[in-house]
Amino acid sequence: MLELLFANLLDFCDRKCRKRDEPFLLLAEFTAFAVGFLFSQLGIPLIRLNLGDFVGFWLFENLVSSVFWRREQGLRPVDERRGETLDRILGGMPVELENTSAMTVSTVSGEASVSSSGNQAAPPPTTTMKKKRNLPGMPDPDAEVIALSPKTLMATNRFVCEICSKGFQRDQNLQLHRRGHNLPWKLRQRSSTDIRKRVYVCPEPSCVHNDPSRALGDLTGIKKHYCRKHGEKKWKCDKCSKKYAVQSDWKAHSKTCGTREYRCDCGTIFSRRDSFITHRAFCDALAEESAKAHTVRNSKSEDDPKRQIVVSSPPPSSTVVSAISPIQKTELPEKSSGIINHIPPSTCLNGSIGSGSSSSCSSSSSSSNGSTTTSVFASLFASSSAAGTLQSQTSTFSDLICAMARSERSTALATVSTAEPTSLCLSSNVGGSTIFNAAVGPERRHYAVPSSPAMSATALLQKAAQMGAAATNSSFLRGLGLTTSSSSSGQQDGLQWGSGRFESEPGSSGTTAGGGGLRLGLPSEGNPGLTELIMGPSSLFGPKPTTLDLLGLGIGGGGGAPTGGFSALITSIGGGGLDRTAPAATFGGGSSAGKTWGPEAAKERKPSSPALL
Amino acid sequence: MAQDEGSSSVTSSPLQFFSLVSLSPNLGSPYPWLRELKSEERGLYLIHLLLSCANHVASGSLENANIALEQISDLASPEGDTMQRIAAYFTEALADRILKAWPGLHKALNSTRISPVSERIIVRKLFFDLCPFLKVAYLITNQAIIEAIEGEKMVHIIDLNSAEPAQWIALLQVLSARPEGPPHLRITGIHEQKEVLEQTALRLTEEAEKLDIPFQFNPVVSKLEHLDVESLRVKTGEALAISSVLQLHSLLASDEQIRKKSPSVNSVHLQRVLHMNQSSVGELLDKDLTNGYTRSPDSASSSPLSGTASPKIESFLTALWGLSPKIMLVTEQESNHNGSTLMDRLLEALYFYASLFDCLESTVSRASMDRMKVEKMLFGEEIKNIIACEGSERKERHEKLDKWIQRLDLAGFGRMPLSYYALLQAKRLLQSYNCDGYKIKEENGYLVICWQDRALFSVSAWKCSRFD
Repeated sequence: MLELLFANLLDFCDRKCRKRDEPFLLLAEFTAFAVGFLFSQLGIPLIRLNLGDFVGFWLFENLVSSVFWRREQGLRPVDERRGETLDRILGGMPVELENTSAMTVSTVSGEASVSSSGNQAAPPPTTTMKKKRNLPGMPDPDAEVIALSPKTLMATNRFVCEICSKGFQRDQNLQLHRRGHNLPWKLRQRSSTDIRKRVYVCPEPSCVHNDPSRALGDLTGIKKHYCRKHGEKKWKCDKCSKKYAVQSDWKAHSKTCGTREYRCDCGTIFSRRDSFITHRAFCDALAEESAKAHTVRNSKSEDDPKRQIVVSSPPPSSTVVSAISPIQKTELPEKSSGIINHIPPSTCLNGSIGSGSSSSCSSSSSSSNGSTTTSVFASLFASSSAAGTLQSQTSTFSDLICAMARSERSTALATVSTAEPTSLCLSSNVGGSTIFNAAVGPERRHYAVPSSPAMSATALLQKAAQMGAAATNSSFLRGLGLTTSSSSSGQQDGLQWGSGRFESEPGSSGTTAGGGGLRLGLPSEGNPGLTELIMGPSSLFGPKPTTLDLLGLGIGGGGGAPTGGFSALITSIGGGGLDRTAPAATFGGGSSAGKTWGPEAAKERKPSSPALL
Repeated sequence: MAQDEGSSSVTSSPLQFFSLVSLSPNLGSPYPWLRELKSEERGLYLIHLLLSCANHVASGSLENANIALEQISDLASPEGDTMQRIAAYFTEALADRILKAWPGLHKALNSTRISPVSERIIVRKLFFDLCPFLKVAYLITNQAIIEAIEGEKMVHIIDLNSAEPAQWIALLQVLSARPEGPPHLRITGIHEQKEVLEQTALRLTEEAEKLDIPFQFNPVVSKLEHLDVESLRVKTGEALAISSVLQLHSLLASDEQIRKKSPSVNSVHLQRVLHMNQSSVGELLDKDLTNGYTRSPDSASSSPLSGTASPKIESFLTALWGLSPKIMLVTEQESNHNGSTLMDRLLEALYFYASLFDCLESTVSRASMDRMKVEKMLFGEEIKNIIACEGSERKERHEKLDKWIQRLDLAGFGRMPLSYYALLQAKRLLQSYNCDGYKIKEENGYLVICWQDRALFSVSAWKCSRFD
């Protein structure tokens, strides 16, 4: 018996000490050795020694928890033989080493009637039943049943030292601590006959472990059980937000969290395989349906660009919805908040159509982009034709697409415009308007024929903002010391359009067209994050310059953004707009050309430049 | 000081252009070339016109504003492309602002309007159906509540705007499937119209009966600003959750600001601001210090950490905090429409509503009446409120999340990161829309719902104590 005890003790110490979280255990280990040595060598009864007594008590509690710890973790005892034997030891039953396998198939009373007073009840009639696994909470029928209040269970340090207020979980530990204060201390004496098994029931009435027959065999076990199942989950994993009630569970999880991950093609990451599988089922179904929706949409869009027809097309997305709900219901019954089940099919339909059409746009525009890179003039023409095809698209344009199409066109524009801005402005202008005329009748209010190309408002605003930023080189730029002579300013204004629509073009040609290093307000243009950049303030906490700045109104937040006056924007757009809209006016420079506004603008500038700050 | 000179040239330069154009022949059917503009060019031109018009309105030069408005109304249309629609609503708002200078005229013109409250409910329902934003907000809110009340037996939820029962029906369904069984649920709905609350109560009690959940609805007929905390009947021992979806910003308007500002005040202010914007940052700071006194009273609430400036919201949040809720969910527009000057607000609103209009454009057909209604009666009205109203009338004082964080912090609330599961569910919901534009981002435990790259709505969770 003692051999066994020591084997388990050493195993326990080994396990605990490897964790290094309870230095006290080092002492324990040492003591165990010492006691073992003493005992085996000298044959002194343990009970006689104070120290031995303590160790005995300590051993007792921890050994029990050791066994149950393993059970709770779903592990088999260190060794089936050893563990089970220990149960018997602790239960005060006679040890029969040769009968070690008895417990695994032994009879355990299903309804151990036990009195909470601790008086041992008469052994109940035992019903033979096969125990497949060590089900937690099948205690010895003879054990004393203890019901602790939730408060006691949740209390971390019940035993408090009156001197230094240090708290302890066990009275014995407090007694040892008191010794350090030179206070009277007393360790509980425990004779071997006194060792009686105690089991603990859960105070939660609805819990299975509330029934004495399913009481848990050790104090730590019941504490953890109560915490886990009925307590607040205070410990939260930073990585995956999973919450735990017991700190050690949380620690164990933290060690493995994120080491195993399941990644879906859609980019979502899961730490648990089951949730990953659930998601996959959902995700695959979705992808399939959206692909279907896609093809439907594409074939339809050939026939008629108007939307009403599309709406009446067989609704693929309604099946998406129905595909979602069963998954939600079956796989995640307790968590899904249900809203997802109530998406009206019509909305969903619209959603799918939106994406379908936009992607079809993207493909066509990208193809036209591909064809426009041959030569300068070729690209000029190609780009105008690209505009034509875009016109026949339904209506949705993602910003990026427009930017791409534009950039192609503007490359052509800008490259030529360095040579001869005037003619270029005219040509693009004429081309654009004729296309438009062909597409739309002269009726005034009917600009918004669905077939007309529509840039998204956001994109337009960005563009306006960019023009505002680019236009900071106009002579209205007071306070920045960048005023140019009024003779050249007219020409530069004329170039604004070229530079304005140039934003997604990274290269040097942009700078030549825009004139000087004025574009420093918009660094790294042309990368995919263009919108991100421009729309800086929309992202939550970013310390990026605000859109106001870009519109030329703001207070330069970031470094080096040219904070042009609001007027700069207005004149630039105004100039640009006029330039577009009055094709008759040529743009040879502020002095010669602008019949309508040129002189006015020049007049404006002149008085204002002396009025600098 | 060149201040006057500088700003006058700023505001008058485009004006010169317009007056000149408008002088050109046949004023009645002007600008044949305008018709020939392509959508994009027209859009850019509209932006320009809008900004200059706003400038005129802000500076009080009504003649010029009138000219600009006339030009815009030739180009803008509530049935056109996105920019045309936006321009239409913004000009309406600007015109409304001008009209407010003549209160009698304004009142007379608006005397036959139907009650805005019922209007708003219908239209919000449409918005709920057309766009996923509210749905996602409800979903996240519900998920956070469910996580917070896990294991609770008595649950009390306070809904600051109880016009939409869909959110709570969804919650009831989840609660009925709770492993530990449904709790005793009490929902306190706040709304200024009794009928609305009755309807909500009916729907919810029906649903609760169907699901066999012990349920009680506690209607509180009150405006949010006049809410009596006692009427919420919060009891000890129940787990309290508070849900606010697009509500708190209306409390930012404070009573002392009723005083109407004459256009001239605005013009001076705007001129100063415009002037300042052209100077360097250093100068600007200087000026801000010396000229700080001229800022309009509203501006206080938009300056950093001036949550203090609006006592109404402060006391309201403190009162809520006093109820010690287990969780409070706040959904707000992620944009600053509470700027001190008209131009600030107009520009911010332009960006924000451009995204919303874009979103509708790419998901709903142009001919849809529902879309039109949402644009006119929801977005249009909000724009009008942001642009045209001042003082306590201006309710749509949307502010960004960082401002709300400061305010809620100040009131004693502690942050509570939203769970990964909530994010996942929101992502799924957005995926089911099958539209690339909708995105959801997680930033520091808060969730932000976006259209493309523009953040539009934020959802944040708060708990009563700052410490565990």
